[in-house]
Amino acid sequence: MVELKFKRFTLNQRIEHILFFTSFILLAYTGFPLKFPDEWWSRWMIESVGGFDNRTLIHHISGLVMIGVSAYHVIYHILEKPRFDILFHPKDINDFLQQVKYSLGFSSEHPKAGRYTWKQKFEYFGAGFGAVIMGFTGILMWHPFEAMRYFPLGVIQIANLFHTWEAVLASLAIFIGHFYDEHLGKFLNMSWLTGTVSEEEMRHEHPAEYEGIMGSYAPGNPEMNVPEVRSNSSAGSIMIMGFAKLLFTIVFLAISTWMLWISYQVLVEAVNTYIL
Amino acid sequence: MTAAGAVAASGEREDTSCFQCHSAQVQEFAKSVHYDRNISCTDCHGGDPHISGAAVSVSAMSTNFTGAPARINITETCSKCHSEVTGVYKESIHWKELEKGVTIAATCTDCHGVHGILPSTNPNSSANLENVPVLCAGCHENQTKMSAWYYGIKTDRFDTYKKSYHYKALLSGGKGLATCTDCHENHNTRNESDPGSAIYAANLASTCGKSGCHPGNSAVIYGGKVHEGQSVQLLSIDTKALVTYFYIAMILFELVFTLGLVGLDITSKFDIRRRR
Repeated sequence: MVELKFKRFTLNQRIEHILFFTSFILLAYTGFPLKFPDEWWSRWMIESVGGFDNRTLIHHISGLVMIGVSAYHVIYHILEKPRFDILFHPKDINDFLQQVKYSLGFSSEHPKAGRYTWKQKFEYFGAGFGAVIMGFTGILMWHPFEAMRYFPLGVIQIANLFHTWEAVLASLAIFIGHFYDEHLGKFLNMSWLTGTVSEEEMRHEHPAEYEGIMGSYAPGNPEMNVPEVRSNSSAGSIMIMGFAKLLFTIVFLAISTWMLWISYQVLVEAVNTYIL
Repeated sequence: MTAAGAVAASGEREDTSCFQCHSAQVQEFAKSVHYDRNISCTDCHGGDPHISGAAVSVSAMSTNFTGAPARINITETCSKCHSEVTGVYKESIHWKELEKGVTIAATCTDCHGVHGILPSTNPNSSANLENVPVLCAGCHENQTKMSAWYYGIKTDRFDTYKKSYHYKALLSGGKGLATCTDCHENHNTRNESDPGSAIYAANLASTCGKSGCHPGNSAVIYGGKVHEGQSVQLLSIDTKALVTYFYIAMILFELVFTLGLVGLDITSKFDIRRRR
């Protein structure tokens, strides 16, 4: 049996993704314990990286990596031939409504997404917006006295406020939304390493893009490697996959619980401070 | 070796005879730095310990015995040895208020303890840098004590300090982080409006710029009060409230459309709901 493989991520993009998510996870891991120093997990997490000074060092280095990758990404895309398929399009609103209808059972039709679904566009610009906010506010908080040569203390306190809120928002979006949509829901999605997706995934996840490509399909197109022989899964690998998925699900649920607890805490504090 | 045993073992010491009646005080004293340095009961209390039996109560009192000194006289006892630091303390607002007759104003023993005084470098000392926030809060969080003195002393100082990086990092295992006395001075604590105070506006650069803290920050132009939330107005709206409302909306959006759709997606996989 032959199967088409569709190029989704370039090597450049895959490396950017790996650097971005590694720094993101390290930043969350070394950041939230400082926000909630009273909690039992806080001390445990800080000890696990070798104490408070290491925590600070890892947080700063990861922050610089994230700023670096973000800046590189923007510069690369300015120099590259411009692409517009990531921009929002009125069709995204229809796709969004269609997905809500589908999920609630009012329709049996999935939205026909193009190369990027409405949610992927949100996540992309959310990550960009988040990196800018976290980068600027993080640098202000890193060097408060240099910052106070140019801004009053209130601006640094606002930077602190932004840093916490954006951390919570971004972590919710990544650890729950992105993990479910792209990794647990499409288990085992290896496209972040291989850069390609299968024809089945393509037809299912990006039908509009699939139809566009197949309409002009010609053998020998460098974007597609055909033919590709797919090995049959044995019973053993199904067991391994099952356990891997179980493990991933447990980790996902643990992190989701943690994130929901953190969101609840910051929302309660905000409501007490600004609304009550 | 128990405290009582320690006392009994040092048979030559004067406090052995005091121990017969004042066992609790002597036991506490036996753990103190004063005991280790061979200070005895009579060095602070006077009196003659070389008296035995029923004669004690009469004879001890007749030999210049002072018992517990009045709060205003405590400095006299301590200054016999600690004259220099008592002199520094006598510059403070605590002493000035005590002199005026405000008997609850802090004196030596309120911070250092009475019989069981430990060196402030000892982590169990109430005057240890890491224990100082709780120590100061003992009076400064107490509304009855603070309003009995004069109205206007704020009782939320520990609460506002708890939100700072200094405290959160200290709780997370950080070392050398500022607690109350690092900024307000330990002995020479003064009112903010006093030009000799470490927290007088013109002195802040040198207070914050201490070596080991934020050296070389004399060029700070814009500052602000660290305990207060500094408000920064944007179009006559408090920016902090604005940021908070924005992120509450974003997080609620994220929770509904991430978790909501994740939840609906999971149920659709199990065919819990009937499809139309």
